[in-house]
Amino acid sequence: MTDLFDTGLDRELTLLGAQIAIPATPSMAPAVAVALRQRRAPSRLGLRMSRGLVLAIIATLLLVGIAAALGIALGGVRFVIGSGTPAPLPPGVAADRGLGRLVTLDEARSAVSFQIRFPAGTALGEPDHVYVSTLLPAGGRVALVYGDRPGFPADTKSRIGVLITEFRADIGPDSFEKLIQQGVRVEEVSVNGATGYWVAGGRHFYYYRNADGAVVDDTMRLVGDTLIWEEAGLTMRIEGAPSLADAQELAAALH
Amino acid sequence: MGFSWWRASLTDTELIDKARRGDVPAYEELVRRYESLAFRTAYLIVADTDEARDAAQDGFLRAYGALRRFRAGSEFRPWLLRIVANAARNRRRSSNRRVSLALRAAAEAPAERRNPSPEATVLAAERSALLLGAIERLSLEDRDVIVMRWFGELTEAEMAAALDCPRGTVKSRLSRAMARLRVGLPERELEALRD
Repeated sequence: MTDLFDTGLDRELTLLGAQIAIPATPSMAPAVAVALRQRRAPSRLGLRMSRGLVLAIIATLLLVGIAAALGIALGGVRFVIGSGTPAPLPPGVAADRGLGRLVTLDEARSAVSFQIRFPAGTALGEPDHVYVSTLLPAGGRVALVYGDRPGFPADTKSRIGVLITEFRADIGPDSFEKLIQQGVRVEEVSVNGATGYWVAGGRHFYYYRNADGAVVDDTMRLVGDTLIWEEAGLTMRIEGAPSLADAQELAAALH
Repeated sequence: MGFSWWRASLTDTELIDKARRGDVPAYEELVRRYESLAFRTAYLIVADTDEARDAAQDGFLRAYGALRRFRAGSEFRPWLLRIVANAARNRRRSSNRRVSLALRAAAEAPAERRNPSPEATVLAAERSALLLGAIERLSLEDRDVIVMRWFGELTEAEMAAALDCPRGTVKSRLSRAMARLRVGLPERELEALRD
Protein backbone atom coordinates (compact mmCIF):
# COMPACT_ATOMS: atom_id res chain seq x y z
CA MET A 1 0.00 0.00 0.00
CA THR A 2 2.83 2.34 0.94
CA ASP A 3 4.61 1.53 -2.32
CA LEU A 4 1.48 2.19 -4.30
CA PHE A 5 0.93 5.41 -2.44
CA ASP A 6 4.54 6.52 -2.95
CA THR A 7 4.35 5.73 -6.66
CA GLY A 8 1.17 7.82 -6.83
CA LEU A 9 2.77 10.78 -5.10
CA ASP A 10 5.90 10.47 -7.23
CA ARG A 11 3.77 10.46 -10.37
CA GLU A 12 1.73 13.44 -9.19
CA LEU A 13 4.87 15.41 -8.36
CA THR A 14 6.39 14.62 -11.76
CA LEU A 15 3.23 15.85 -13.48
CA LEU A 16 3.09 18.89 -11.23
CA GLY A 17 6.70 19.74 -12.12
CA ALA A 18 5.72 19.97 -15.78
CA GLN A 19 2.89 22.35 -14.89
CA ILE A 20 4.87 24.88 -12.89
CA ALA A 21 4.84 28.16 -14.78
CA ILE A 22 8.48 29.21 -14.98
CA PRO A 23 8.96 32.48 -16.90
CA ALA A 24 11.30 32.67 -19.89
CA THR A 25 14.93 33.27 -18.89
CA PRO A 26 15.88 36.93 -19.30
CA SER A 27 19.22 37.64 -20.96
CA MET A 28 21.77 38.43 -18.26
CA ALA A 29 25.10 38.14 -20.07
CA PRO A 30 25.28 41.78 -21.35
CA ALA A 31 24.62 43.37 -17.92
CA VAL A 32 27.09 41.00 -16.21
CA ALA A 33 29.73 41.77 -18.87
CA VAL A 34 29.24 45.54 -18.43
CA ALA A 35 29.75 45.22 -14.68
CA LEU A 36 32.80 43.03 -15.12
CA ARG A 37 34.47 45.31 -17.68
CA GLN A 38 34.53 47.98 -15.02
CA ARG A 39 36.70 45.72 -12.91
CA ARG A 40 40.31 46.44 -13.81
CA ALA A 41 42.42 43.29 -13.83
CA PRO A 42 45.92 44.10 -12.57
CA SER A 43 48.39 43.48 -15.36
CA ARG A 44 51.91 42.21 -14.71
CA LEU A 45 53.22 45.61 -15.85
CA GLY A 46 50.86 47.34 -13.44
CA LEU A 47 52.06 45.07 -10.64
CA ARG A 48 55.68 45.86 -11.40
CA MET A 49 54.88 49.58 -11.49
CA SER A 50 53.05 49.33 -8.17
CA ARG A 51 56.03 47.59 -6.61
CA GLY A 52 58.30 50.24 -8.09
CA LEU A 53 56.09 53.00 -6.72
CA VAL A 54 56.09 51.42 -3.25
CA LEU A 55 59.89 51.14 -3.29
CA ALA A 56 60.18 54.77 -4.45
CA ILE A 57 57.88 55.95 -1.65
CA ILE A 58 59.83 53.95 0.94
CA ALA A 59 63.12 55.38 -0.37
CA THR A 60 61.68 58.92 -0.30
CA LEU A 61 60.38 58.52 3.24
CA LEU A 62 63.76 57.16 4.35
CA LEU A 63 65.54 60.14 2.79
CA VAL A 64 63.12 62.56 4.46
CA GLY A 65 63.65 60.78 7.80
CA ILE A 66 67.42 60.87 7.42
CA ALA A 67 67.30 64.54 6.40
CA ALA A 68 65.16 65.37 9.43
CA ALA A 69 67.48 63.36 11.70
CA LEU A 70 70.49 65.20 10.29
CA GLY A 71 68.76 68.54 10.51
CA ILE A 72 68.88 69.19 6.76
CA ALA A 73 66.45 71.89 5.84
CA LEU A 74 63.82 70.93 3.35
CA GLY A 75 62.03 74.28 3.52
CA GLY A 76 59.65 75.08 0.72
CA VAL A 77 59.64 71.54 -0.64
CA ARG A 78 56.35 69.69 -0.34
CA PHE A 79 56.01 66.01 -1.17
CA VAL A 80 52.63 65.24 -2.58
CA ILE A 81 51.65 61.64 -3.15
CA GLY A 82 48.70 61.78 -5.53
CA SER A 83 45.87 59.30 -5.16
CA GLY A 84 45.74 58.74 -8.96
CA THR A 85 42.67 57.38 -10.69
CA PRO A 86 40.43 55.63 -8.20
CA ALA A 87 39.90 51.92 -8.80
CA PRO A 88 36.47 51.13 -10.27
CA LEU A 89 33.93 49.74 -7.89
CA PRO A 90 34.00 45.93 -8.03
CA PRO A 91 30.74 44.37 -9.24
CA GLY A 92 28.35 43.05 -6.68
CA VAL A 93 29.28 45.41 -3.81
CA ALA A 94 25.87 47.09 -3.90
CA ALA A 95 23.94 43.96 -4.82
CA ASP A 96 22.60 43.29 -1.33
CA ARG A 97 21.34 46.80 -0.67
CA GLY A 98 17.91 46.27 -2.15
CA LEU A 99 18.53 48.62 -5.04
CA GLY A 100 16.96 46.35 -7.64
CA ARG A 101 18.67 44.81 -10.61
CA LEU A 102 21.96 45.75 -12.16
CA VAL A 103 21.41 47.26 -15.62
CA THR A 104 23.15 49.29 -18.29
CA LEU A 105 22.40 53.02 -18.56
CA ASP A 106 20.27 52.45 -21.65
CA GLU A 107 18.28 49.74 -19.90
CA ALA A 108 17.75 52.07 -16.94
CA ARG A 109 16.51 54.86 -19.21
CA SER A 110 13.89 52.62 -20.77
CA ALA A 111 12.85 51.00 -17.47
CA VAL A 112 11.76 54.12 -15.58
CA SER A 113 9.00 56.59 -16.43
CA PHE A 114 11.10 59.73 -15.85
CA GLN A 115 14.24 61.29 -17.24
CA ILE A 116 17.22 60.20 -15.18
CA ARG A 117 19.41 63.04 -13.94
CA PHE A 118 23.18 62.77 -13.65
CA PRO A 119 25.60 65.03 -11.76
CA ALA A 120 27.21 66.84 -14.70
CA GLY A 121 30.71 68.28 -14.43
CA THR A 122 31.45 66.97 -10.95
CA ALA A 123 34.19 64.71 -9.62
CA LEU A 124 31.73 61.81 -9.69
CA GLY A 125 31.84 61.33 -13.48
CA GLU A 126 30.04 58.26 -14.76
CA PRO A 127 28.38 55.95 -12.22
CA ASP A 128 30.17 52.65 -11.60
CA HIS A 129 26.91 50.76 -11.44
CA VAL A 130 23.29 51.52 -12.25
CA TYR A 131 20.44 49.67 -10.54
CA VAL A 132 16.76 49.75 -11.36
CA SER A 133 13.76 48.60 -9.36
CA THR A 134 10.45 48.32 -11.13
CA LEU A 135 8.58 46.73 -8.21
CA LEU A 136 8.32 49.85 -6.07
CA PRO A 137 7.58 52.71 -6.32
CA ALA A 138 5.24 53.23 -9.30
CA GLY A 139 7.23 54.51 -12.27
CA GLY A 140 10.38 52.76 -11.10
CA ARG A 141 13.42 53.80 -9.14
CA VAL A 142 16.96 54.23 -10.37
CA ALA A 143 20.10 54.11 -8.22
CA LEU A 144 23.44 55.48 -9.42
CA VAL A 145 26.34 53.95 -7.51
CA TYR A 146 29.74 55.68 -7.38
CA GLY A 147 32.86 54.22 -5.83
CA ASP A 148 35.77 56.18 -4.41
CA ARG A 149 36.06 59.65 -6.02
CA PRO A 150 38.23 62.71 -5.31
CA GLY A 151 36.46 64.59 -2.53
CA PHE A 152 33.98 61.75 -2.05
CA PRO A 153 35.94 59.02 -0.28
CA ALA A 154 34.34 55.58 -0.26
CA ASP A 155 33.08 54.14 2.99
CA THR A 156 35.64 51.50 3.98
CA LYS A 157 32.95 48.94 4.70
CA SER A 158 30.51 49.41 1.81
CA ARG A 159 33.21 50.66 -0.63
CA ILE A 160 30.60 53.08 -1.95
CA GLY A 161 31.41 56.78 -2.19
CA VAL A 162 28.07 58.23 -3.21
CA LEU A 163 24.67 56.77 -3.93
CA ILE A 164 22.09 58.82 -5.83
CA THR A 165 18.54 57.49 -5.95
CA GLU A 166 15.74 58.95 -8.08
CA PHE A 167 12.04 58.04 -8.08
CA ARG A 168 8.62 59.63 -8.36
CA ALA A 169 7.22 60.31 -4.90
CA ASP A 170 5.88 62.97 -2.58
CA ILE A 171 7.80 63.69 0.57
CA GLY A 172 7.12 66.18 3.31
CA PRO A 173 8.03 66.88 6.92
CA ASP A 174 5.67 64.07 8.04
CA SER A 175 7.78 61.56 6.09
CA PHE A 176 10.47 61.92 8.73
CA GLU A 177 8.20 62.12 11.76
CA LYS A 178 9.37 58.82 13.21
CA LEU A 179 13.01 59.74 12.76
CA ILE A 180 12.58 63.02 14.56
CA GLN A 181 10.72 61.25 17.38
CA GLN A 182 13.67 58.87 17.66
CA GLY A 183 16.00 61.81 18.12
CA VAL A 184 17.56 61.73 14.66
CA ARG A 185 18.57 65.15 13.42
CA VAL A 186 16.49 66.09 10.37
CA GLU A 187 17.25 69.57 9.14
CA GLU A 188 15.07 71.45 6.66
CA VAL A 189 17.35 72.88 3.97
CA SER A 190 17.12 74.57 0.59
CA VAL A 191 18.01 72.46 -2.42
CA ASN A 192 17.90 74.12 -5.85
CA GLY A 193 15.25 76.48 -4.48
CA ALA A 194 13.08 73.64 -3.17
CA THR A 195 12.68 72.36 0.36
CA GLY A 196 14.89 69.41 1.19
CA TYR A 197 15.85 67.46 4.27
CA TRP A 198 19.31 66.70 5.59
CA VAL A 199 19.22 63.53 7.69
CA ALA A 200 22.37 63.13 9.70
CA GLY A 201 23.87 59.76 10.56
CA GLY A 202 22.68 56.21 10.90
CA ARG A 203 20.59 53.81 8.87
CA HIS A 204 17.09 55.17 9.05
CA PHE A 205 13.62 54.41 7.90
CA TYR A 206 11.19 56.95 6.54
CA TYR A 207 8.21 56.86 4.23
CA TYR A 208 6.91 58.60 1.14
CA ARG A 209 3.82 58.62 -1.06
CA ASN A 210 4.51 57.24 -4.51
CA ALA A 211 2.90 58.33 -7.78
CA ASP A 212 -0.16 56.15 -7.04
CA GLY A 213 -0.64 57.83 -3.67
CA ALA A 214 0.38 54.68 -1.80
CA VAL A 215 2.53 55.06 1.30
CA VAL A 216 5.86 53.26 0.91
CA ASP A 217 8.26 52.57 3.75
CA ASP A 218 11.83 53.02 2.67
CA THR A 219 15.24 53.03 4.18
CA MET A 220 18.46 54.92 3.52
CA ARG A 221 20.75 52.43 1.77
CA LEU A 222 24.02 53.64 3.25
CA VAL A 223 25.08 54.42 6.76
CA GLY A 224 25.74 58.13 6.65
CA ASP A 225 24.26 61.52 6.00
CA THR A 226 21.54 61.89 3.42
CA LEU A 227 20.08 64.77 1.48
CA ILE A 228 16.57 64.14 0.20
CA TRP A 229 14.34 66.52 -1.70
CA GLU A 230 11.59 66.70 -4.28
CA GLU A 231 11.93 68.63 -7.49
CA ALA A 232 9.44 68.73 -10.38
CA GLY A 233 7.67 65.60 -9.15
CA LEU A 234 10.88 63.64 -8.81
CA THR A 235 12.30 62.72 -5.42
CA MET A 236 16.07 62.53 -5.24
CA ARG A 237 18.29 61.23 -2.51
CA ILE A 238 22.04 61.71 -2.19
CA GLU A 239 23.75 59.46 0.32
CA GLY A 240 27.42 59.46 1.23
CA ALA A 241 28.39 63.08 0.51
CA PRO A 242 30.89 64.22 3.19
CA SER A 243 28.93 67.38 4.07
CA LEU A 244 25.65 69.17 3.39
CA ALA A 245 27.51 71.67 1.17
CA ASP A 246 28.95 68.79 -0.92
CA ALA A 247 25.52 67.20 -1.22
CA GLN A 248 23.96 70.54 -2.22
CA GLU A 249 26.69 71.02 -4.83
CA LEU A 250 25.92 67.60 -6.31
CA ALA A 251 22.20 68.38 -6.21
CA ALA A 252 22.78 71.58 -8.17
CA ALA A 253 24.74 69.63 -10.80
CA LEU A 254 21.98 67.06 -11.40
CA HIS A 255 20.69 67.46 -14.97
CA MET B 1 32.62 39.94 -30.59
CA GLY B 2 33.49 38.26 -33.87
CA PHE B 3 34.88 35.26 -32.02
CA SER B 4 31.68 34.34 -30.21
CA TRP B 5 31.26 31.18 -32.37
CA TRP B 6 34.76 30.13 -31.34
CA ARG B 7 34.11 30.75 -27.63
CA ALA B 8 30.91 28.74 -27.87
CA SER B 9 33.02 25.75 -28.93
CA LEU B 10 35.27 25.93 -25.85
CA THR B 11 34.77 23.68 -22.83
CA ASP B 12 33.79 25.11 -19.42
CA THR B 13 37.34 24.48 -18.17
CA GLU B 14 38.84 26.45 -21.05
CA LEU B 15 36.40 29.33 -20.54
CA ILE B 16 37.02 29.39 -16.78
CA ASP B 17 40.75 29.46 -17.39
CA LYS B 18 40.34 32.44 -19.71
CA ALA B 19 37.91 34.21 -17.38
CA ARG B 20 40.39 33.83 -14.51
CA ARG B 21 42.88 35.75 -16.62
CA GLY B 22 40.40 38.60 -17.06
CA ASP B 23 38.78 37.52 -20.35
CA VAL B 24 35.28 38.98 -19.87
CA PRO B 25 33.83 37.63 -23.17
CA ALA B 26 34.83 34.12 -22.00
CA TYR B 27 32.86 34.61 -18.79
CA GLU B 28 30.00 36.12 -20.79
CA GLU B 29 29.87 32.82 -22.71
CA LEU B 30 29.68 30.93 -19.40
CA VAL B 31 26.83 33.20 -18.28
CA ARG B 32 25.01 32.53 -21.54
CA ARG B 33 25.58 28.80 -21.09
CA TYR B 34 24.17 28.67 -17.54
CA GLU B 35 21.78 31.62 -17.27
CA SER B 36 18.76 29.43 -17.87
CA LEU B 37 19.76 26.94 -15.14
CA ALA B 38 20.65 29.79 -12.75
CA PHE B 39 17.41 31.67 -13.39
CA ARG B 40 15.26 28.55 -13.09
CA THR B 41 16.91 27.54 -9.80
CA ALA B 42 16.62 31.05 -8.37
CA TYR B 43 12.99 31.27 -9.50
CA LEU B 44 12.10 28.02 -7.74
CA ILE B 45 13.40 29.60 -4.52
CA VAL B 46 12.07 33.17 -4.75
CA ALA B 47 9.04 32.53 -7.03
CA ASP B 48 9.31 36.01 -8.50
CA THR B 49 10.70 36.92 -11.94
CA ASP B 50 12.55 40.12 -10.99
CA GLU B 51 13.96 38.68 -7.78
CA ALA B 52 15.09 35.53 -9.62
CA ARG B 53 16.85 37.57 -12.33
CA ASP B 54 18.55 39.74 -9.68
CA ALA B 55 19.61 36.69 -7.68
CA ALA B 56 21.00 34.90 -10.74
CA GLN B 57 22.84 38.03 -11.90
CA ASP B 58 24.21 38.59 -8.43
CA GLY B 59 25.28 34.94 -8.33
CA PHE B 60 27.18 35.29 -11.62
CA LEU B 61 29.00 38.38 -10.35
CA ARG B 62 29.90 36.70 -7.07
CA ALA B 63 31.04 33.58 -8.91
CA TYR B 64 33.34 35.69 -11.09
CA GLY B 65 34.84 37.23 -7.98
CA ALA B 66 35.38 33.76 -6.53
CA LEU B 67 36.77 32.14 -9.70
CA ARG B 68 40.27 32.02 -8.22
CA ARG B 69 38.93 29.76 -5.49
CA PHE B 70 37.27 27.41 -8.00
CA ARG B 71 39.08 24.05 -7.87
CA ALA B 72 40.51 23.14 -11.26
CA GLY B 73 38.99 19.95 -12.60
CA SER B 74 35.77 20.14 -10.58
CA GLU B 75 32.40 20.80 -12.17
CA PHE B 76 31.37 24.40 -12.70
CA ARG B 77 27.61 23.73 -12.78
CA PRO B 78 27.09 22.66 -9.13
CA TRP B 79 29.63 25.22 -7.91
CA LEU B 80 27.69 28.01 -9.64
CA LEU B 81 24.36 26.59 -8.44
CA ARG B 82 25.49 26.80 -4.82
CA ILE B 83 26.34 30.50 -5.23
CA VAL B 84 23.13 31.36 -7.11
CA ALA B 85 20.88 29.43 -4.70
CA ASN B 86 22.53 31.15 -1.73
CA ALA B 87 21.97 34.54 -3.36
CA ALA B 88 18.31 33.61 -3.96
CA ARG B 89 17.79 32.43 -0.37
CA ASN B 90 19.35 35.66 0.94
CA ARG B 91 16.92 37.65 -1.18
CA ARG B 92 13.97 35.59 0.05
CA ARG B 93 15.11 36.12 3.63
CA SER B 94 15.55 39.87 3.24
CA SER B 95 12.25 40.35 1.38
CA ASN B 96 10.59 38.60 4.32
CA ARG B 97 7.53 37.61 2.34
CA ARG B 98 6.15 34.22 1.52
CA VAL B 99 5.65 33.74 -2.21
CA SER B 100 4.15 30.79 -4.05
CA LEU B 101 4.92 29.13 -7.33
CA ALA B 102 2.13 29.34 -9.89
CA LEU B 103 0.68 26.75 -12.24
CA ARG B 104 0.47 27.15 -15.98
CA ALA B 105 -2.95 27.65 -17.54
CA ALA B 106 -4.89 24.39 -18.10
CA ALA B 107 -4.57 24.73 -21.89
CA GLU B 108 -0.80 24.53 -21.55
CA ALA B 109 -0.87 21.45 -19.33
CA PRO B 110 1.43 18.58 -20.31
CA ALA B 111 -0.02 15.82 -22.53
CA GLU B 112 -0.24 13.35 -19.61
CA ARG B 113 -2.47 15.85 -17.79
CA ARG B 114 -4.80 16.52 -20.70
CA ASN B 115 -7.95 14.50 -20.23
CA PRO B 116 -10.62 13.66 -22.73
CA SER B 117 -13.43 15.07 -20.61
CA PRO B 118 -13.62 18.65 -19.29
CA GLU B 119 -14.61 17.28 -15.88
CA ALA B 120 -11.47 15.15 -15.64
CA THR B 121 -9.35 18.13 -16.71
CA VAL B 122 -10.86 20.27 -13.96
CA LEU B 123 -10.29 17.54 -11.37
CA ALA B 124 -6.68 17.08 -12.45
CA ALA B 125 -6.06 20.83 -12.22
CA GLU B 126 -7.66 20.88 -8.78
CA ARG B 127 -5.42 18.03 -7.64
CA SER B 128 -2.33 19.89 -8.88
CA ALA B 129 -3.38 23.04 -7.04
CA LEU B 130 -3.98 21.06 -3.83
CA LEU B 131 -0.60 19.38 -4.06
CA LEU B 132 1.20 22.65 -4.80
CA GLY B 133 -0.64 24.26 -1.88
CA ALA B 134 0.53 21.49 0.43
CA ILE B 135 4.14 21.96 -0.76
CA GLU B 136 3.98 25.70 -0.17
CA ARG B 137 2.72 25.14 3.37
CA LEU B 138 5.82 23.12 4.28
CA SER B 139 8.79 24.70 6.07
CA LEU B 140 11.14 26.45 3.63
CA GLU B 141 13.72 23.71 4.14
CA ASP B 142 11.25 20.94 3.23
CA ARG B 143 9.72 22.98 0.41
CA ASP B 144 13.12 23.64 -1.18
CA VAL B 145 14.22 20.01 -1.21
CA ILE B 146 10.96 18.86 -2.85
CA VAL B 147 10.94 21.73 -5.33
CA MET B 148 14.58 21.08 -6.33
CA ARG B 149 14.00 17.35 -6.71
CA TRP B 150 10.75 17.44 -8.65
CA PHE B 151 10.70 20.82 -10.39
CA GLY B 152 14.38 21.64 -10.69
CA GLU B 153 15.52 18.72 -12.82
CA LEU B 154 18.77 18.62 -10.88
CA THR B 155 21.12 15.72 -10.23
CA GLU B 156 21.82 14.65 -6.66
CA ALA B 157 25.15 16.50 -6.67
CA GLU B 158 23.46 19.63 -8.02
CA MET B 159 20.68 19.34 -5.44
CA ALA B 160 23.28 19.13 -2.69
CA ALA B 161 24.92 22.27 -4.09
CA ALA B 162 21.64 24.17 -4.47
CA LEU B 163 20.52 23.16 -0.98
CA ASP B 164 23.99 23.85 0.42
CA CYS B 165 24.17 20.52 2.21
CA PRO B 166 26.43 17.44 1.94
CA ARG B 167 25.52 15.07 -0.86
CA GLY B 168 24.89 12.27 1.62
CA THR B 169 22.09 14.15 3.39
CA VAL B 170 20.03 14.98 0.28
CA LYS B 171 18.18 11.64 0.34
CA SER B 172 17.37 11.77 4.05
CA ARG B 173 16.21 15.39 3.77
CA LEU B 174 14.01 14.46 0.82
CA SER B 175 12.58 11.46 2.63
CA ARG B 176 11.67 13.54 5.71
CA ALA B 177 10.17 16.29 3.54
CA MET B 178 8.06 13.75 1.59
CA ALA B 179 6.75 12.28 4.85
CA ARG B 180 5.70 15.73 6.05
CA LEU B 181 4.13 16.47 2.66
CA ARG B 182 1.97 13.35 2.97
CA VAL B 183 0.82 14.49 6.41
CA GLY B 184 -0.04 17.93 5.04
CA LEU B 185 -2.08 16.69 2.09
CA PRO B 186 -5.84 17.00 2.35
CA GLU B 187 -7.65 13.66 2.71
CA ARG B 188 -9.38 14.08 -0.67
CA GLU B 189 -6.00 14.39 -2.37
CA LEU B 190 -4.72 11.28 -0.60
CA GLU B 191 -7.72 9.35 -1.88
CA ALA B 192 -7.14 10.59 -5.41
CA LEU B 193 -3.54 9.47 -5.22
CA ARG B 194 -4.55 6.03 -4.02
CA ASP B 195 -6.95 5.60 -6.98
